Amino acid sequence: MPPLRSGVVLLRRARSLAALVGILLLAIAISPTASDGSRIFLQAGNLTDILRQVSLIGIISLAMTFVILTGGIDLSVGSILALSTALVAMFLTRGYTTHIAVAILAAVAAAALAGALNGVVIARTGIQPFIVTLASMIGVRGLAKWLTNNQNIDIGFGRDLAAGFAAVFREKAIVIGAYAAAAALFWVVLARSVFGRHVRAVGDNEKAAAYAGLPIRATKIWVYTLSGLFTGLAGVLYAAENHQGNPNAGVAYELDAIAAVVIGGTRLSGGQGSISGTIVGTLIMGVLTNMLRLNNVDSNVEMMIKAVIIVLAVAVQRERSGN
Amino acid sequence: MGITKRYGGVYALKGANFSLRAGEVHALIGENGAGKSTLARILAGSTRADSGAISIRGAPVEIASPLDAQRLGIGIIYQELDLFGSLTAGENIVIGNLHFPEGRLVGFRRMEEFCRPFLRQVGLDCDIRQTVATLSIGQMQLLAIARALSMDARIILMDEPTSSLFDDAAERLFGLIAALQQRGVSIVYVSHKMDEIFRVSDRATVLRDGETIGTVEMASTSVGALIRMMVGRELKIAPRAARRPAGEIVLAAENLTTAKLREVSFELRSGEVLGIAGLVGSGRSELGAALFGIDRVTSGTLRVRGELRAPRSPRDAMAAGIGLLPEDRRLQGLMMRMSVLENATLAVLPQISALGFIHRRRENASLAPVARRLALHYPSPAAPVSQLSGGNQQKVLLARWLLLNPAVLFLDDPTRGIDIGAKQDVYRLIGELAAAGKAIILVSSELPELLRCCDRILVLNEGRVTAHYHAAEATQEKIMSAATNAGARA
Repeated sequence: MPPLRSGVVLLRRARSLAALVGILLLAIAISPTASDGSRIFLQAGNLTDILRQVSLIGIISLAMTFVILTGGIDLSVGSILALSTALVAMFLTRGYTTHIAVAILAAVAAAALAGALNGVVIARTGIQPFIVTLASMIGVRGLAKWLTNNQNIDIGFGRDLAAGFAAVFREKAIVIGAYAAAAALFWVVLARSVFGRHVRAVGDNEKAAAYAGLPIRATKIWVYTLSGLFTGLAGVLYAAENHQGNPNAGVAYELDAIAAVVIGGTRLSGGQGSISGTIVGTLIMGVLTNMLRLNNVDSNVEMMIKAVIIVLAVAVQRERSGN
Repeated sequence: MGITKRYGGVYALKGANFSLRAGEVHALIGENGAGKSTLARILAGSTRADSGAISIRGAPVEIASPLDAQRLGIGIIYQELDLFGSLTAGENIVIGNLHFPEGRLVGFRRMEEFCRPFLRQVGLDCDIRQTVATLSIGQMQLLAIARALSMDARIILMDEPTSSLFDDAAERLFGLIAALQQRGVSIVYVSHKMDEIFRVSDRATVLRDGETIGTVEMASTSVGALIRMMVGRELKIAPRAARRPAGEIVLAAENLTTAKLREVSFELRSGEVLGIAGLVGSGRSELGAALFGIDRVTSGTLRVRGELRAPRSPRDAMAAGIGLLPEDRRLQGLMMRMSVLENATLAVLPQISALGFIHRRRENASLAPVARRLALHYPSPAAPVSQLSGGNQQKVLLARWLLLNPAVLFLDDPTRGIDIGAKQDVYRLIGELAAAGKAIILVSSELPELLRCCDRILVLNEGRVTAHYHAAEATQEKIMSAATNAGARA
């Protein structure tokens, strides 16, 4: 990379990274101490807790990065997550199948289908993604509630199939591992694949992408499908972690995911952004939450502080890049 | 007045002079890019001059904003009509209007009283509560004129007013111009349609490359004389390359018709350069859009290497061996946030990837040979394309097509806004491609460029082919008169 370009990129990444380091240092500094004098924040258990807590939003925000890179947005992820938790719990507890894999596959496939529907409508009709996914945010939530009669489907602690599923998929290692694997996948696809190049090109200049003969519709359909698919995976992990299929799960998750993406330096209008930035953005939010909770800050105050952090993080990155 | 306007390092106007008498219709003419519209915008206050002075009735004035222009009695009717589409006709007239006594609330009755006389004057019979988007283009134009009149304009600038009008609407406009003139309103009429200019104007000022060439009385000049003034630059054309024997027919259009083209027919052979001359809006870019699968062909046929085939999308066109370098490289060509390398390889990714993943080394290696061929200069392959000069940006786009290597390449004004050195590189490339058996269609606003590069030249006007010359028989005057409707008068 030429000095100027890499300089700008580095500065940008460094700024969101610097924000993360700053918050980490602050978290360490104000961390309450355990009886042996060590800082609770730095305990291995706490640090892995943070990773586990951010994993679900983290997975969703990876796919959201692709959506936003094309110049779109996906507001339906919270509802799709709820649909996925409901379906996996139904399959596990109602005897539809005897295989955990089938239940997971069904939930993820339904979620991917919902995403694909978003993509097809957006690509075919040209209606703004905000409106299309706002509609499916409402519709898919309705579907999840209708399927479950608006009841939570509990996954027990006994010895049945569902309990076995929950025991495995709520393991910290599995959850964090899933996030890490998804992050690696999205990073490679964006940096190295033809599809990743198309995603950025479409978001950078859709008209020029058309003149270059790029498959614009297919690219859009795929990013929303991936968004649905990975949100479905996050829903499976959610069901295991919370021991239930919950049609009311995931409310406002779309906003957390979008926040992570923009804190990570991705332009909301598309064409520019990175997976590494999104990961940093996700971690900033996670560490902040953990820090405030360790210090017993009221959760309402926590939201107010987060609001300030989001605006600050984006303002700081805009200042230098000039767009 | 000596008005100068620079855009970056490029002069749009170089000490242009222009004077307007009371109650006259004064045409401002010149080729594309001669500075007509820039001069009109400076007078209307939407652009500021870098140097020079403007005076009205002998008094020096400063026009720093459209509001200043309004106070001085200058109104402008832009080519693209600056109306608010979702507001009503009445609101469009009174908004920002210094002569409308504005209260805190706008009453439609008061608006009606204010607007009606002006609407009657221009002969526009519409409800002032009607939204502008529901009006026809001709009605919108009348509304814009009514607005200028309501601002008590004594000088009205019209930039290509008939470019989107049909014949009867244009007739109405000419009648209105005559009526305004009777009332002592002066009109500056920017156009390159010769028949109109002779019909409506008293005098004409010719601009060329930002300079005033001269002002003439219409009564004592001719179409031919004006055209010579418009194009009469020193022709510094390097001798044409020796004629190549043309190959087989690769592209044949017969009565090709789209929303913007009327029964266009031509043949293109391999190794041939076909020039397309015509003004902006003549259908020259739309021809590319039809060949490249962007505009739908409504009737007529297109044969690619003898096979009946009308591309339905750019992808389809590329598969058929047709490439298109678009007219506006920033809007239609480049991804400004992507690198030089990424922009160049965008259309050939399938060829340099395996299983959907880009082969890094093959991608990096692909750029150097075409960059050498184009004399493309870039700081590094990863440099953002936005950092390059206009000429080098255009070469990056050309590199995209050289990598894809289509049999037919449609170049839409490839030298627009690039420096002389880069232009020479583009000319050389066109010659090389033709020598290598490619078929080239070259659209250009610069006639010397067409005369230099092409074997044959097709002239388009209002979507139709109005003339077809072999390079040897074509002259700038002939092409210009075929492109400007002057044929009927000359």
